[in-house]
Amino acid sequence: MQPSPMRYLLFISCFCFLQACSSLYSNLQKTETDKNCLQKFKPSFTSVLYSAKADVIGKHLSGLLIIKKMPDSSIRIVFSSEMGFTFFDFEFRNDGSFEVHNITKQMDKKSVIRTLKKDFELILMENLKNKLSYSFKDSAFVYTAFPQTKGVYYYITDLNCTQLIKMQRASKSKIAVEAVMQNYINGIPDTIGFSHNIKISNFDIGLKRIER
Amino acid sequence: MRKLFFSLSCVLCFIIASAQHAGYSLTTDISKFKQEFSSASQKMQSIKSDFVQEKNLSMLSEKIISKGKFWFKKDNMVRMEYYSPFQYLMIMNRNNVYLKDASKESKVSTSSNKLFQQINKITVDCVRGTALANTDFNFKIFESERNYLVELSPVAKNLKEYFRNINIVVDKKDYSVNRIDMIEISGDNTIINFTNKELNATIPDAIFIIH
Repeated sequence: MQPSPMRYLLFISCFCFLQACSSLYSNLQKTETDKNCLQKFKPSFTSVLYSAKADVIGKHLSGLLIIKKMPDSSIRIVFSSEMGFTFFDFEFRNDGSFEVHNITKQMDKKSVIRTLKKDFELILMENLKNKLSYSFKDSAFVYTAFPQTKGVYYYITDLNCTQLIKMQRASKSKIAVEAVMQNYINGIPDTIGFSHNIKISNFDIGLKRIER
Repeated sequence: MRKLFFSLSCVLCFIIASAQHAGYSLTTDISKFKQEFSSASQKMQSIKSDFVQEKNLSMLSEKIISKGKFWFKKDNMVRMEYYSPFQYLMIMNRNNVYLKDASKESKVSTSSNKLFQQINKITVDCVRGTALANTDFNFKIFESERNYLVELSPVAKNLKEYFRNINIVVDKKDYSVNRIDMIEISGDNTIINFTNKELNATIPDAIFIIH
């Protein structure tokens, strides 16, 4: 008896569903690495200005983004338009707390703030202190994972930890965001990029350092 | 006693109002200023100048300085071109705004965006000299030996959410705008200083064309 097309469809759907649910990182091999090797990629922001562009759900924003380490070691990130209008002003404190000092009404949405907060946490690399980290590898890369309350931050380097290839924030089944920091000059990346995995539209942010 | 109290209150109010802007005192003859400002702006056909913009982030003790060129032509055409430390172009031509950053060009119709329409109106009003007629703001006039200072306080609800005040410094000599200071609710502000001004220079319409 020939199986009906409906059965095929059901089988394929179940297979896809199970594939999607299986861990993205399950094919990787557990490995022991020196976690301190990531420290050299942690950006040493003092007061850095970036030209910024963001494509958020069909809307294009551009402007200037300043990242500044304050005397109390907290980090302030302020994004404003070229003409000086402030879009947001965030503070990441040393104790892990976070404060929104200012945000324009159009961006003042929980989901937008949460996404931006996690994006910047990923590149600030303050989570490297997390002792629950673990590492995987494949034939080309080492993935060092830092579990968070929700999801995991992954820092992906070459096997010898000489290059930070990319960063990911992911759940077991889905990469929420991929970020890159490239062309370090004096410990500060010249280029930073975020690409979000959102089905309905794009949500990308690009930063290019401006010399003052 | 009542008279004395009233007089003292008036003096105190005057001192407080004057102290808001160092070196300036509250103008008593507003109608004279309005008349002369309006008369000068009627003669102003165009402005061409350089500008230096200073964004002050008060809590961060940081300043972001940018430079560019500015063109204005009656009735309603403005071009601001930033060239340092980044490149950015904004053209306002009647009801349309054209923006070009390093990666993208975009057009906004001010008629479909109320905030843009109001900001457009502020910019044009400031340089055209008709800011005092803008009903989105209340105003106070201060003066020093060389300049007038027009303090605009937003009345419109959506502008109140963004700006505490917009202060415009006007040159007494020719009633042209020397400086615009936009103070946000957070206390951060953006100052645009206009230098090398050429009033009524010939400016081709082509530089305001939005393609």
